[in-house]
Amino acid sequence: MKTFLLIGSVVLGGLVGLLALALGLTLLAGLIAFVVMGVRSPSKLTMLLRMAWANLLASRINLVIGGLIAGGTVVFVVLGSLVSSLNDSMARSVVGSVAGNIQIYSAKSKDDVALYGNMGGEPDLTAMTTFPAIKEALEKHPNVKTVVPMGVSGAVITPGNVVDRALERLRALYRAKQGDVVPALKDVPADELAQRIDAQKSHVRQIIKVLNADAQKAAAILADKALEPEVAQALARVSSDEFWTGFDADPFDALEFLENNIAPQVTDAQMLFLRYLGTDLDRFQDSFDRMEIIDGARVPNGQRGFLIAKFLYEEQMKLKNARRLDKINTARTLNERKIATDEELQRFVKENRSQTRDIVLQLDAIKTKTAVELLQAELGVAETDLSALLTRFFDMTDETFDRRYAFFYEKLAPLVELYRVRVGDTLTIKAFSRGGAIQSVNVKVYGTFAFKGLEKSPLAGATSLMDLMSFRDLYGYLTADKLEELKEIKQATGAKEISRDNAEAELFGGDSQATIVAEATPGIIDADKELTGAARKLRNEDLIRRVYTSEEINSGVVLNAAVVLKDPSKTARTLEELRELSDREGLGLKAVSWQQAAGLLGQIITGFSIILLLSVLVIFFVAGIVINNAMMMATMQRTAMIGTLRAIGAQRALVLGMVLLEAVTLGFVFGLGGIALGALVVQLFHAIGIPAWNDYAYFFFSGPKLRPDLSPTNLGVAIGIIFGVTYVATLVPAFIATRVSPLRAMQADT
Amino acid sequence: MKRTAIALLLTLTFPLTAAAAELSAADMLKILAEIDDRQRNGGDYKALCYLEQKEKDKADIVRELIVFRRDTDDKLMLLFTKPKSEEGKGYLRLDKNLWLYDPNTGKWDRSTERERIGGTNSRRSDFDESRLAEEYVPTFDGEEKLGRYEAQVMTLKVKEGIDVAAPVIKMWVDKATHNVLKRQEFALSGRLTRTALYPRWQKMFSESKKADVWFPGEIRIFDEVEKSNSTLVLFKSVDLAALEANMFTKAWLESKSR
Repeated sequence: MKTFLLIGSVVLGGLVGLLALALGLTLLAGLIAFVVMGVRSPSKLTMLLRMAWANLLASRINLVIGGLIAGGTVVFVVLGSLVSSLNDSMARSVVGSVAGNIQIYSAKSKDDVALYGNMGGEPDLTAMTTFPAIKEALEKHPNVKTVVPMGVSGAVITPGNVVDRALERLRALYRAKQGDVVPALKDVPADELAQRIDAQKSHVRQIIKVLNADAQKAAAILADKALEPEVAQALARVSSDEFWTGFDADPFDALEFLENNIAPQVTDAQMLFLRYLGTDLDRFQDSFDRMEIIDGARVPNGQRGFLIAKFLYEEQMKLKNARRLDKINTARTLNERKIATDEELQRFVKENRSQTRDIVLQLDAIKTKTAVELLQAELGVAETDLSALLTRFFDMTDETFDRRYAFFYEKLAPLVELYRVRVGDTLTIKAFSRGGAIQSVNVKVYGTFAFKGLEKSPLAGATSLMDLMSFRDLYGYLTADKLEELKEIKQATGAKEISRDNAEAELFGGDSQATIVAEATPGIIDADKELTGAARKLRNEDLIRRVYTSEEINSGVVLNAAVVLKDPSKTARTLEELRELSDREGLGLKAVSWQQAAGLLGQIITGFSIILLLSVLVIFFVAGIVINNAMMMATMQRTAMIGTLRAIGAQRALVLGMVLLEAVTLGFVFGLGGIALGALVVQLFHAIGIPAWNDYAYFFFSGPKLRPDLSPTNLGVAIGIIFGVTYVATLVPAFIATRVSPLRAMQADT
Repeated sequence: MKRTAIALLLTLTFPLTAAAAELSAADMLKILAEIDDRQRNGGDYKALCYLEQKEKDKADIVRELIVFRRDTDDKLMLLFTKPKSEEGKGYLRLDKNLWLYDPNTGKWDRSTERERIGGTNSRRSDFDESRLAEEYVPTFDGEEKLGRYEAQVMTLKVKEGIDVAAPVIKMWVDKATHNVLKRQEFALSGRLTRTALYPRWQKMFSESKKADVWFPGEIRIFDEVEKSNSTLVLFKSVDLAALEANMFTKAWLESKSR
């Protein structure tokens, strides 16, 4: 991509150079025409202008040249407006969503910041440990509005299968019942706890019923190979009434039996990769205007919390059947696709028909009965098996889709969990820390969000938001205290360091005096003494200090930060000044523009601009050659006229001026016509809006429609290029015209 | 003099000639069973361990943990005690399930045989009782010198239907004492994944077993995929006294951090 950018810069530089050359030559020609070659008097100039005007439409060749100029200009104006509009909308989205105008990060970082990730994963950024000082220094700059700390990382969420989740809920309920602190259940009264326990047990029993039915079906097909004997025994035990009547006598023992013997038989657990941006959520939510909460609410000030990206929420966390129905609905209503003729929609229908287990396992006995009755009534059949009914229900056609889609959301959806994680749930996120150890945190999901204009972007929509305190816990940055603690443990153990290359020689070498086997004496290991309770104390303190001050949030490790400017038009200058500031005050920062920080996303825009410039270059290069040839022909056709002019005393300078002025007039008239037509087309596109025909287009358009605007810069550049190309292409024919002698003209006449 | 020299030569070369003889499958299984049996205790087992993980450009991971084993029921529990941030975390093996508990979240996650214990290159099997004879089929590779030790080298392949972290193991066993000196683990593709060295073994009399129980005093593990990573496991102290009757439960582990 860097090579691409380099080529782009060279091309851009070349084009600007060409433009400057063309303008320079035009001025030079004017000067030569007026001062050196005799077209000094205004009357001569008026005469030449009249001639140019008269010849403008007299020749078909002029019309061809004019058409080329006008066509090229239209293309340039329209394409230029599209690209600059794309650039502007992306800039608004990216700057206003996460990047800010400028991004800063440690100059010691191995990689460059890439807010939407790189092909190979997250960039390796060195942590900034003195963020409060950095923030203070940067916010002194007159154009800096605020500095928002952040860091990006990722984790894999393994919520377990449907049985794991049901048993986890049941375990939490029993723990709450026995008096343990379970934050999510702390305010639930005892009688409600008992009701919830019964409901949850009923759900687990229903799951076991489904598993038993599956086992019987498998046994019918595979005979005795269907189930391992111990699994069959476990299923028989948990299906018995004795197991459930004795459940409350030792619920934790019964739960462990279910967790270890039944849950592993269900294989629907899906791992979910979660990319998150840890940030000062208060400041973030106030500073980035493109962010909008879709479901739920923003995280309260100073609190830990999590906001899930809506795109990810729909794509990854929604019940697959529902998601497929949504996709079919969108395709049918927005894109006018038909199930009957569209292979992808047919595949969705087929998958929905065959994958009903997620729904069946979610329902307890009462809900199953309700769902069966609803589906029987809707389908008008007497079938009693829920799975069979669902298969029939999801077998949708263009004729039945709308009714069944509405039925699904009105009647069935309230019975199931549409999303694996719900707003208000506590999400456990487990990630590898910077050091490689596993860290986990619990964060409450307050809602879902999207960045306006990037709602359908898989890149932007893959990143969720997390509070900075939780982010730091997962990042596992080793503070001086923690490092000291590890050092003490190491010293107390006194382990010998051995290099990998030398290990066998050192451990088994001939010089080693140690014997391979030694007698050991029993040690006394008291787990309670080893456990100091320090971790428990830290957790309790954390529970108490649920609301963090701005100082607490800022004081800690930060990977990068967004600098939001008061006047974004001065971004380039401010960027330079911040770099100087960092060098002057020894902040050790790298500062980059939003385009650079956006990584691939930013480079896509640059790529579009380069493609535009290359297209324009090719169009006008070809146009230049054609104009040159056409002008040559036009000059040849007018040999007699030029010879006559020369015979009646016209100097070569006058002829040169005449041809050049004619070409420039041609360029001016048709160029302006092209600009007007191009502007009209752009205005038309603006009024109608170019609809995004798929998710990729939606992403590039930063919304459902692109409404291009005219760019004054583009118009200026268009005029310059037209004059330049026309002028350069006419130079040779013009000089040839000056070589026409009166004698040759007269010979041509005869 | 000549006779003495020949006798001495014969005396010295005879054992080497005998050692070079290929071990039969039964012999190898006998060795594996002996290795397993030595490490198995009839009753309970508790060890205080030190874990240290080194990785390139990263601070060392340092942990202390207590290993609890009840060999009669095939139960295992690891409870982390140091540093403070790790205190109360633990692993619990119940039947074929390996559970990971984090008191910070109060959640249990089902894990696999390939779980990197505490983020290091060690695995559940490094702390559990040895089941080589039960899980693998050996083939003899020959003999090799490993430093000052004469080692018998064999390749073990996992039996069908058994889930283990390493499907193929190449093992160097001290010929004189039948202690494992070195083991290399391979993926099914044949790729070497890690090498472990066992420079020290310790034994202790067990009342429940009425015999010695052996355990490695030190294990040096080298990651063969990420070559710069290595793990040191030290068994600092072992206690063979009986453990609480009901301690191999989720509730017990949870109670340690409440």
